[in-house]
Amino acid sequence: MFAEKWQVLDGGKTWRFHLRKGVKFHNGTELTAEDVRYTFALVAKEGSASSLAPEFRAIESIEVENPHTLTVRFDKPAVAFGNKVTEGLVASVAFIHSKKHLESAGEQGAERNPVATGPYKFVEHVRGDRIVYEAVDNHWRATPHWKRLVFLKVPEPATRLAMLRAGSVDVIEVSGEYADELKKVGMRMLLMPNVSWVYIILGGQWPSKPTYDPKVPWAQPDAEKARKVRLALNLAVDKQAIMQRVLGGLGTVVGSWLSYPTDPWASDALKKPYPYDPAQAKKLLAEAGYPNGFELTMNLTAWPGRGYLPDVGEAVATYWEKVGIKVKRRPLDRAVFSADFRARAYSGVTLAYAAPLVGPEPWEIMIRGGYTKAALNLFMEHPKLDEFIDRLATQPNYQERVRIMRDEMGPWLHEYIPGVAIGAAHAIAGVGPKVGDWPLIPGHMGFHNWEHVTRK
Amino acid sequence: MARYLAGRLAQTLLSMLVVISIVFFLTRLSGNPIHLLLDVNASERDQEILTRHLGLDRPLPVQYLIYVRNICLGDFGTSILTRRPVTEHIWERLPATAELGFVAMALSVLIGVPFGMYSAVRRGTAFDSGARIFAVLGQSMPAFWLGLMLILLFGVILGIFPAGGRGGIEHIILPAFTLGYFTSAAILRLTRSAMLEVLGSDYIKFARLKGLHEQVVLWKHGLKNALLPVVTFAVMLFVQFLGGAVVTETVFAWPGLGRLILESITTRDYPIVQAGVLVLSALYLTGNLCVDLLYSYLNPRIRRAGA
Repeated sequence: MFAEKWQVLDGGKTWRFHLRKGVKFHNGTELTAEDVRYTFALVAKEGSASSLAPEFRAIESIEVENPHTLTVRFDKPAVAFGNKVTEGLVASVAFIHSKKHLESAGEQGAERNPVATGPYKFVEHVRGDRIVYEAVDNHWRATPHWKRLVFLKVPEPATRLAMLRAGSVDVIEVSGEYADELKKVGMRMLLMPNVSWVYIILGGQWPSKPTYDPKVPWAQPDAEKARKVRLALNLAVDKQAIMQRVLGGLGTVVGSWLSYPTDPWASDALKKPYPYDPAQAKKLLAEAGYPNGFELTMNLTAWPGRGYLPDVGEAVATYWEKVGIKVKRRPLDRAVFSADFRARAYSGVTLAYAAPLVGPEPWEIMIRGGYTKAALNLFMEHPKLDEFIDRLATQPNYQERVRIMRDEMGPWLHEYIPGVAIGAAHAIAGVGPKVGDWPLIPGHMGFHNWEHVTRK
Repeated sequence: MARYLAGRLAQTLLSMLVVISIVFFLTRLSGNPIHLLLDVNASERDQEILTRHLGLDRPLPVQYLIYVRNICLGDFGTSILTRRPVTEHIWERLPATAELGFVAMALSVLIGVPFGMYSAVRRGTAFDSGARIFAVLGQSMPAFWLGLMLILLFGVILGIFPAGGRGGIEHIILPAFTLGYFTSAAILRLTRSAMLEVLGSDYIKFARLKGLHEQVVLWKHGLKNALLPVVTFAVMLFVQFLGGAVVTETVFAWPGLGRLILESITTRDYPIVQAGVLVLSALYLTGNLCVDLLYSYLNPRIRRAGA
């Protein structure tokens, strides 16, 4: 951590960071508060492709008090700003850039020859083939056990597995379908538990927007009937079987919304999955006015790092058909769906999705997908949810936020049923015989902590 | 001959313009790269800025004319994803593809031609049957499956060759064989049938009657005449290797041009897709032109028909 300590002041409107002294970029210059200010401004600038841009644009001012102290001010409380700058908790953290390097090398030069501060420094990037890093001796965090870190681009998972078996590589990234194969060939499996939350989006729950279609069964104006349909769509699906068969048994079936089984706000009652009860699902559909089911579209779209999603969608579609719903499957490219996603042009369409950890607290995810006043990729809206988000976004006390999420927002979402909850999926890696211990940060999505990986 | 050459060159240039146009409009139909480049939370303003920055806000015909003009000036544009010149990307990947293509082609010819020739000479023998089985297998086995089996056998079980990646000479054997097996089988069959036809011809009978040594008959009079269709086929196959090796490149993690184009299609990196397809088409059309010219040189009837 660059910040040795930090203070949250003015009810979350001011964040003061005290940076570690003596942290050096790989070009020899020292990391200072000026580099942090420069990086935050880059993230927030117009046209930025960073997923954190909305949060960083809320910054009112950044003051560099001295080379190692930085004060960030917001006009409204930013109670979770710490989560945005913490490696390990969010998927797209704001890595600090060297101002001097970027200004002297230019964007292209810095892209070709990046300079950072970690325990591994960049050596070369052979496009389409490999990226090579070298260990930094006596790094303040840890001196790596492995001298060189080479990331090979191997698109075919079967080839990766073969390379691991042949000893050409020491670690491979694979999906759940290779778990059995790894065991069979005697390779160790590294589990990164509960890293993405898998669910089915039921598109169209946005009554205040122009694309709202009142004929969509789960989003119809009759709230009670709409809820019955959403519950039926949940009860019709055997989540445990999907977790076992599609995700290779690598995950936990949960009913809590946008939270992971290990989160402090995921109480036992919330974690309990919606049961598999097709008979009850049919009954509920009949009560909602659909005794013969209805027709819907299931988009089968793969997202980066979550190639299993079309299979999850296919499995859910098959279960829905068993209770009389006619499912039109639509294999769709991500670029095409992304446009629909932004324009909320998918009323009546369902989609398997896995939430990447863009925010470690569920309300931070909901603010992007369920907040009527500001969400950009809104998939549902409700005044009650807005109220929860308003309260949580201005509550500086973490314990109080946990309580609201656990005792108020969580139960409300569980009762409301925004979509079909499947569960939290693990990520796995195949590990070769030379690799020793590998301590992981819980909830972190990708490979990390390379400097702490020991040798056998 | 000059008129024929000019005509064929004009045809080639026209074909390239058609290819450029088709690729340009098809890539635009496939989706907007902005939706992949920006996070789903990106604002309308961010989308507008990036769209303008990439020149995608201009009318399509204007984009097309700018693109054609730039190509004529030798400027293939900048990658949407990396912001680096497209030519850099192409030149980075072309050597790997050419290397794989050359070795695969060499393997195909070294296996296909002698085996095809002896298969024809020893027609009906066990050698002929074996060669024909080899050819049928080569033409029916999918490259994807063959590649994985070779990796398993030679990379994992026997540990003779690396299981994937690009490096020294040992890295190229398995992918080159995977890529070349299908072609060597095709060359074998073609050589065999061409040789059978040639061996039944009067001039071969005459050469034998003259008392020439059998090896001279086969190599000098037989193979030389039988090779013409084989050479044509091999040249066209080699050009196809350059772009069509994407399956082999994927299985063996070979950083070639085919994979670059495929990856760029999935990320909607229009300039790379356009330039990659253009380079491959240029190679294909040039190969085709060379074969036509070779034919017309060898066969005056074609030259006269084209004039």
